[in-house]
Amino acid sequence: MGNADLRQLAVIEDVSFEDCSGVVAVDAHNWLYRYLTTTVRFTNSAAYTKDGQEVANLIGVVQGLPKFVENDLTPVFVFDGGVTELKSEEVDERREQRERYEEQLDEARQRGDAAEIATLESRTQRLTPLIVETTKELLDLLDVPVVEAPAEGEAQASYMARRGDADYVGSEDYDALLLGAPRTLRQLTSKGNPELMEFQATLDRHDLTWEQLVDVGILMGTDFNDGLSGVGPKTAVKLVHEHGDLWGVLDAREEYIDNADRIRSLFLNPATTDDYDVDTDLSPDVDAARAFVCDEWAIPASEVDRGFDRIEEALTQTGLDDWL
Amino acid sequence: MFKAIVSSGTLRAALDSVGVLVDECKIRLDEDELTIRAVDPANVGMVDLSLSPAAFESYETDGGVIGVDLSRLEEMVKMASADQLVHLELDEETRKLHIQIDGLEYTLALIDPDSIRQEPDLPDLDLAANIVLEGSHIDRAVKAADMVSEHIVLGVNEDEDHFYVDAQGDTDDVHFELDREDLIDLTAGDAHSLFSLDYLKEMNKAIPKDAEVTVELGEDFPVKMHFDIAEGQGNVTYMLAPRIQSD
Repeated sequence: MGNADLRQLAVIEDVSFEDCSGVVAVDAHNWLYRYLTTTVRFTNSAAYTKDGQEVANLIGVVQGLPKFVENDLTPVFVFDGGVTELKSEEVDERREQRERYEEQLDEARQRGDAAEIATLESRTQRLTPLIVETTKELLDLLDVPVVEAPAEGEAQASYMARRGDADYVGSEDYDALLLGAPRTLRQLTSKGNPELMEFQATLDRHDLTWEQLVDVGILMGTDFNDGLSGVGPKTAVKLVHEHGDLWGVLDAREEYIDNADRIRSLFLNPATTDDYDVDTDLSPDVDAARAFVCDEWAIPASEVDRGFDRIEEALTQTGLDDWL
Repeated sequence: MFKAIVSSGTLRAALDSVGVLVDECKIRLDEDELTIRAVDPANVGMVDLSLSPAAFESYETDGGVIGVDLSRLEEMVKMASADQLVHLELDEETRKLHIQIDGLEYTLALIDPDSIRQEPDLPDLDLAANIVLEGSHIDRAVKAADMVSEHIVLGVNEDEDHFYVDAQGDTDDVHFELDREDLIDLTAGDAHSLFSLDYLKEMNKAIPKDAEVTVELGEDFPVKMHFDIAEGQGNVTYMLAPRIQSD
């Protein structure tokens, strides 16, 4: 999830899709989660199979891809591998909270409180193995590249962007900044224009090195640690300037952060792989993808027809600039 | 400086050929020709137009580029009957174009050329087949295809020595064939490309029915169509990018 307070430090500008083109390494879990919680979930009873398994992700993928391909952006979906060990606390916490929501959801269903049901449904959303698997299968039919990260998808996506294999990272999570993603496109799941978050400009604005930015992040708190109490973005930057780095700050304040060293390296040297091969020339088999979604998973065609039409149109019509 | 007199028929033919693709364009005013090159916002269809000074009753310029709102200009020029003369004069100071048709006088505010989409580079294409046919044949093919589909295949069958058009709809199909006899000329070479009818329909509107149109085609390549306007004193080239489907 990342610490949203990082936004106060980040250099972010509104851009238009016309000004963006190239390859976007998308944090797949983050993207799917957003789609399922905001766009698809409220509207759809269509998103369940007869035996009650949820496949709203299939609608989300079909509705979400046109935004990329119509704007000359080629998505590469980077999926999480294992959960980082340190993060398990957060995962546990989220699981417990979800269980609480699920109880409330049962009650709301019994009362027939539609508004409450919709809210709670989006909160209990999880990416089931079925959702992840069917998403990958659909992306494969649409010839959209998929990369399996050894650990965090966002770290792998940022690594690919640092190597120049992607022009942008696509994520709503501000951690992309700590992971050194040069340029991050945000709001790819919302209506309207995206935001562009820039790494180097952010370092320059605060006169920080990458390591120092990560230290600032750790002082403020990350998914892997609670920040120092009372330390927000401004104070964290000030402290790092004063004391040079995280250790200097902790010494001076006589405070301690568990696993600080490892957390640092999760951002600076996360587990990533060079073992990916990305063909960004997409030639989707739209008919097969339609059959997969509508026949195999019985999603009503009306939910996905428009999305498929848009994908087909965007990817079969070439541009004259392809012949220059 | 730019000052010209031209028949409204010639001017309309020129503007319409560009107007079917874009709303705004740059007009290059050179001593030896007037040119417009524009591509639609999706980068799929391009027009390249040239008018020689001989297409005008009179033509004086010392060079320059102006940006125009085509639909406004077309509207004004439509006020003239085909054989009436249109007087054009650029006011450099105010960046306005004065248009005079008999007693009617218009002043058209020009657009900053830098705000108009950049002129595209011309793809350099080596296309295998070359078909010369009447504009009316293109019109027939486009209208027939439009009855059943949104897309149209243009092709040449080298063995059978003919040019063909295919359109496949959900239920109905159209096939249209023109052999060497029906055509003005044919350089056969295997060619087969799929195009969006939306674009071709628009281009077809600007192709005179009696024009001699040269069509260059390849295998999954853009198509080029050239024809003359202004009694041979001007010419238009359209280029349209294909749709390429994966199997």
